[in-house]
Amino acid sequence: MKLSNKKSILLLLLLSLIIGVLSGCTSKTSAETPVEEPNAEKTTYIVGLDDTFAPMGFRDEKGNLVGFDVDLANEVAKRWGVTFEFQPIEWTMKENELNAGNIDFIWNGYSITDERKEKVNFSSPYLEVSQLLVTLTDSPINLIADMKDKVVSTQGESSALEAAYSQPGLVESFKNGELIEFPTYNEVFNDLEAGRSDVVIADEVLARYYMKNKGAEKYKVLEEDLGSEEYGVGLRKDDTELCEKLNATFSEIKKDGTFDEIYSKWFSEN
Amino acid sequence: MMKVFDMLIPMTIEGMRITIGVFLLTLIISLPLSIIIAKLRMSKNKIVSKVTGIYIYIMRGTPLLLQLMFIFFGFHYIPVIGFAFGRYQAILVAFVLNYTAYFAEIFRGGINAIDIGQIEASTVLGLSKRFTFMKVILPQVLKNVMPSIGNEVITLVKDTSLVYILGVADILKAAKSVSNTYSTFIPYIFVGIIYLIITAVLTRFLNNIENKFNYYR
Repeated sequence: MKLSNKKSILLLLLLSLIIGVLSGCTSKTSAETPVEEPNAEKTTYIVGLDDTFAPMGFRDEKGNLVGFDVDLANEVAKRWGVTFEFQPIEWTMKENELNAGNIDFIWNGYSITDERKEKVNFSSPYLEVSQLLVTLTDSPINLIADMKDKVVSTQGESSALEAAYSQPGLVESFKNGELIEFPTYNEVFNDLEAGRSDVVIADEVLARYYMKNKGAEKYKVLEEDLGSEEYGVGLRKDDTELCEKLNATFSEIKKDGTFDEIYSKWFSEN
Repeated sequence: MMKVFDMLIPMTIEGMRITIGVFLLTLIISLPLSIIIAKLRMSKNKIVSKVTGIYIYIMRGTPLLLQLMFIFFGFHYIPVIGFAFGRYQAILVAFVLNYTAYFAEIFRGGINAIDIGQIEASTVLGLSKRFTFMKVILPQVLKNVMPSIGNEVITLVKDTSLVYILGVADILKAAKSVSNTYSTFIPYIFVGIIYLIITAVLTRFLNNIENKFNYYR
């Protein structure tokens, strides 16, 4: 084949690739279309979650998406007769994804806080969790007061973080007046085990899951905690109908015992 | 321990499709495109040169992560434009725009370094401008810039991990998933080794290409 023929073909391929990509831009997939139509006509909803958040929504050994929130969401979908698609998102971008219309729910152990209420609508709470304080078994720390001048860490963008900051003077009493943040609780607990952090603040469900995996005898959970919070589902501010519908279904699920079934499947040790 | 790898290996293979896919697509589009941009940047037309310069400045002056976020989340806020990018389109657009800018500067440097005598000799010989560029200048430029291009190519492999911000699962995200399910750090070590293997293969490949160009030595 002549060289100029080869080059023309290559150039043509390149051009068609670019055109193909660009033309794809103008047609949004149904997953990306913002919710404009009345909810009654939708048959597919997108649930946004961080699929690395055990045990609320994560991957099992086969790579399937499992978890308490996944089961709860599927139950709601069943009762509505619709399909829920699960879209993995980056947790720090969750409100952006919701407001851009890429997802319809934030459903992933999403703690209800006042700051978040300003950005999203919350469903009625479906789970109550505490912010636990965890140390290694042989730590001399037993009370919140013992945490003075100690190294404390937690997950960034988490409600554990907000709980710590909401207590006046608490974070300032830590070593260097700072609360160290890590992307996930894996790193947080790793720091504890490495001896770099003395105490960690963690969502109860996550902490218990992690400690169960690693051997609960290695850790000590302090008597005091930083208060408890409730998990709710996040929705767009103007999706009020959808929110009410969800709340009604939550009531049903709790009344007829299905909620307890799902709960005991995931949190049997509590 | 075995169960960690039972989950890790299939998920890593899935993630490789994204990692390699983004890598190859970005290279295929941005390498030729960057030569064009480089020529535009060196254009005698002041406006073309300036506009291209601004594009390069913006793409090199902001983190790729920020560009990904802006193109996917922020684009539809601009009032004039009517559409929003899909997840994978946003990734491709951001990576191509970003890497084209970097490659363009490398090529511009390489083209500038060619002795003006080459162009003069070509003109004397009666060779057309197009022929001069494609057959005389460009081969010499490629020979000179290969190490720099190679650097950027290897950086691109690592940059693919940034797709996490759009919730897309590459090999690093696979490691994070397995790591969180089993509360262990081993998946990260495994994926680190995978990156090293990819880089080793790439380096070998790039060296081969450099040797092919070494016709003077």
